[in-house]
Amino acid sequence: MVDLSQYLPILLFLGVALVLSSIFVFAPMAVARLTGAHKPDAEKLSEYECGFPAFEDSRSQFDVRFYLVAILFIIFDLEAAFLFPWAVSLKEIGWAGWGAMMIFLAELGLGLVYAWKKGALEWE
Amino acid sequence: MIQALAFYLFAALVIGSGLLTITARNPVHSVLWLILAFFNAAGLMLLVGAEFIAMLLVIVYVGAVAVLFLFVVMMLDIDFAELRAGFARYALFGLAIAIVLVSEMIIAAGAWSAGSLELAQRIAPTPNDMPNIQAVGGLLYTRYLYLFEAAGFVLLVAMIGAIVLTHRARSGVRPQNISEQVKRRPQDAVRNINQPSGQGVEL
Repeated sequence: MVDLSQYLPILLFLGVALVLSSIFVFAPMAVARLTGAHKPDAEKLSEYECGFPAFEDSRSQFDVRFYLVAILFIIFDLEAAFLFPWAVSLKEIGWAGWGAMMIFLAELGLGLVYAWKKGALEWE
Repeated sequence: MIQALAFYLFAALVIGSGLLTITARNPVHSVLWLILAFFNAAGLMLLVGAEFIAMLLVIVYVGAVAVLFLFVVMMLDIDFAELRAGFARYALFGLAIAIVLVSEMIIAAGAWSAGSLELAQRIAPTPNDMPNIQAVGGLLYTRYLYLFEAAGFVLLVAMIGAIVLTHRARSGVRPQNISEQVKRRPQDAVRNINQPSGQGVEL
């Protein structure tokens, strides 16, 4: 069973982070309104990009290769997620569990070899 | 007491960010709210004692899936006027999904009120003296070994499928060739010439 009291510092940390971040967001707004510096106009509210007007719409399509990299990242991420419980319970699951994980790793290693040979990891 | 407070905090944040996910006008904001919902769902998992699942939610859902969502949303060439025009076409389909979800919720609530589960009768009751992740590992790699290997094959198929679908060889690009680049000597690349003055340079 989980001893939840171990997580109390994290909860406190979350609370402090929440309070601090809302102070940093709302205090400048309140100060600006109270000191009379809050005078928005169209020019101030327009988006600012290194001194230029924004060139184009930010919703442009970009290369599908980013997607490929992201998918490969997710797959190896999941593989790593399977490794954690395996490593912790290695004593109970014995050689069968060990062998199963080796087969699993070999499958994904095969996938990695395929990706490598196909040049999916290449970036020019 | 603190536990109850934390539960209400996380549950309220999950519901709130879920609502904002579906009502946000900007799809990118929508995905960001979804990430917040995932974080709070991880907190809820932690409260019921499923530590490993909570950490997986953060690593896999927040770290990978939500980022992929963000990718897809940013990659799509979203035209808002066109998006609204398509609403009527998909309304019937969306309504069907909504009805399915509502009936699932009603059935789940009915099952909940029909009586509690006999938790002691489970195939694998949670052992009290070992951490969650160890119990998961002890089951996953013994009783559910074949399912685990099947999961490995699903991952392999996903990887190969993604490569087959999105990878294409490009011509006219100059990819890196590390060994060629490292092997290159100065005498292959540099030429010393004795240039007489008053004449053009021959390249």
